[in-house]
Amino acid sequence: MELQLGLALPNHNNPSAGNGVGFKSRKDAANKRSFQEAFGNYKIRDELQMMPLLLWSGPPDEEDDDRKGQKKRNSCNNINKNEEEGEELVVGWPPIQSWRKKLLLHGQHPQQGQVGRRVSKFVKVKMEGVGIARKINLSLYNSFETLANSLIHMFATYQKSEKRGVRYTLTYQDKEGDWLIAGDVPWQT
Amino acid sequence: MSYSSLPEDVLEHVFSFVQSDKDRNVISLVCKSWYEIERWCRRRIFVGNCYAVSPRMAIRRFPEVRSVELKGKPHFADFNLVPEGWGGYVYPWIRAMAGGYPWLEELKLKRMVVTDESLELIAKSLKNFKVLVLSSCEGFSTHGLAAIAADCKNLKELDLWESDVEDPSGNWLSKFPDTCTSLVSLNIACLGSEVSFSALERLVVRCPNLRTLRLNRAVPLEKLAHLLRQAPQLVELGTGTYSADLRPDIFSNLAGAFSGCKELKSLSGFWDVVPAYLPAVYSVCSGLTTLNLSYATIQSPDLIKLVSQCPKLQCLWVLDYIEDSGLEALAATCKDLRELRVFPSEPFGDEPNVSLTEQGLVLVSEGCPKLESVLYFCRRMSNDALVTIAKNRPSMIRFRLCIIDPQTPDYLTLEPLDVGFGAIVQHCKDLRRLSLSGLLTDRVFEYIGTYAKKLEMLSVAFAGESDLGLHHVLSGCDSLRKLEIMDCPFGDKALLANAAKLETMRSLWMSSCSVSFEACKLLGQKMPRLNVEVIDESGPPDSRPELPVKKLYIYRTVTGRRIDMPGFVWNVGEDSALRLS
Repeated sequence: MELQLGLALPNHNNPSAGNGVGFKSRKDAANKRSFQEAFGNYKIRDELQMMPLLLWSGPPDEEDDDRKGQKKRNSCNNINKNEEEGEELVVGWPPIQSWRKKLLLHGQHPQQGQVGRRVSKFVKVKMEGVGIARKINLSLYNSFETLANSLIHMFATYQKSEKRGVRYTLTYQDKEGDWLIAGDVPWQT
Repeated sequence: MSYSSLPEDVLEHVFSFVQSDKDRNVISLVCKSWYEIERWCRRRIFVGNCYAVSPRMAIRRFPEVRSVELKGKPHFADFNLVPEGWGGYVYPWIRAMAGGYPWLEELKLKRMVVTDESLELIAKSLKNFKVLVLSSCEGFSTHGLAAIAADCKNLKELDLWESDVEDPSGNWLSKFPDTCTSLVSLNIACLGSEVSFSALERLVVRCPNLRTLRLNRAVPLEKLAHLLRQAPQLVELGTGTYSADLRPDIFSNLAGAFSGCKELKSLSGFWDVVPAYLPAVYSVCSGLTTLNLSYATIQSPDLIKLVSQCPKLQCLWVLDYIEDSGLEALAATCKDLRELRVFPSEPFGDEPNVSLTEQGLVLVSEGCPKLESVLYFCRRMSNDALVTIAKNRPSMIRFRLCIIDPQTPDYLTLEPLDVGFGAIVQHCKDLRRLSLSGLLTDRVFEYIGTYAKKLEMLSVAFAGESDLGLHHVLSGCDSLRKLEIMDCPFGDKALLANAAKLETMRSLWMSSCSVSFEACKLLGQKMPRLNVEVIDESGPPDSRPELPVKKLYIYRTVTGRRIDMPGFVWNVGEDSALRLS
């Protein structure tokens, strides 16, 4: 599942285009509500700070993850039929049974309940204007608040000091390209 | 004395030695009295497509059956090509058998939708029920299993092979009464949540004939030793999770328990393997004939250490972490190997993550003289390698090769792999099952049609150039029963020209090909004993007749169109005009 998370100030204008790879998939979102439309009722004041986060399922210690992550994102732009979670480009290929596929992708049994095992869900975080991406493990967080706080803290060093004290709103782009406010849908999903 | 004057019970006695369906079918064609005698003494039926015949007809013809095997969805359902709700419901069969086969002992289902209601009906109505195998089934929960456990007093086998079971309550195992001591085989490996360990242990302890025990991932490694000591007679074991903190006491306990299992021939499970615990099984390796490591994310050196101790190995399922070097070790040690399956650890990556190539398979084909069944995922192949494999192993029966990137050519010559697969079908004269991959033109199908005379099942994807390809297969493969095709440029001509062939086959699946709706209609009209089903989730296929049908499933049947088709399946038959208006 391709998930784009963005940390945005509630006061914004149009998200800047060409903001690194995170926005490439937006060309598919042409028919979807633009960010502006979705959050048009917000007061426009400062420039938008978008930190696109891309869900990238894979081991955290791959050296060439930048390239790989990018490849995966781009290939997902071309998905014509993607029935289920995972990196499937064509339904039915390669011919691997769905439960086995889930096992490979998530490293856990597809039907396993929470038997006290956490599955790592590494997400790449890239902030506009910053060359270095950070990685966080989504499974370590229990709520949007803790995630947002952690992200703010993590990127605090890249921020100019006057940004402190500004409220942030967590937004994300789901696999259909719609921009949604995090928190409307429960954390579990 | 002519055969017709032999008394009935003598004939029946003679027939009882004939177990194969094919032979029994032949017997029933000899004459009317043999037909009658045979049908009353047939004890086992296999229905490869549950929609080919109605339960009522089956029961009417064979009234004294004790074992029924049914298959539902087409094979490509395993790969998500068949939408949810397509069909394959077992309930009508169970309802019929509850009345018609009250003494039914065995039910084996594959790719069917089973409900808790069905399981409850089995438990309630079949008093002598002994064996339930649900392979790749779905639609039921542990509530249904609880009914089976509680009411099937003589249950010998409960096998949930790779089924999708909802797990609302964990405690169904405790529903086996204390009086149940008959279990021989229990496979719960696919269950997601925990089962009560104490209930499991009590069950294992009171079933002295238990030969097969496949645990689910939730059973911790620390408890495995305890279970093994209660059941040292086990022949087949599936571990639970195979990881624990590294502690010498756990290890020695486990190793000790394994060494007590002198009959162990088959091992599986091994989820989350901690390599340090692998040596605990070394004591049983010398007797192992089957090893399923297809969930075990262990690297080649550990795999080599393991397989090098298994000289009697006949069947190995493993991830591609084994690499060519591991397969070389396999070829050197396991001279009795019959079946090898190598699954991909990262099928969706763009580049190979392991050093597994065609070389590994070539080495195994050279070193293992009994190799007859192969499923191999890899990223490159050459015609040379395939020719070598074919010449090495002419006794090959099942050959399924999946080169992960569609239409990959011979990596050495950049040519199609026609010649390589051609060699396979030419040399392996008893080949029954074949899956193709890589870059393939119509030529490979010409080879297949010419040589693959015993081929029963063919799987094709992203191959061929024209209808000629499909025509070669349909016109040449005399033994073909199942043909499944995805993303190939095969269209109307070959299908219509070989319409009669389709009635000699169990089924044909074609998805993302070039078959028009018109042709489907024509076929349905021409062949009343075929169900021509078009699957289209976006709307009636005749509303866009200029587009090829997305998914097509054709199968022979004696019962006409099925009555449980969902809204996205259209049966294009004689009355299709009426139906679609």
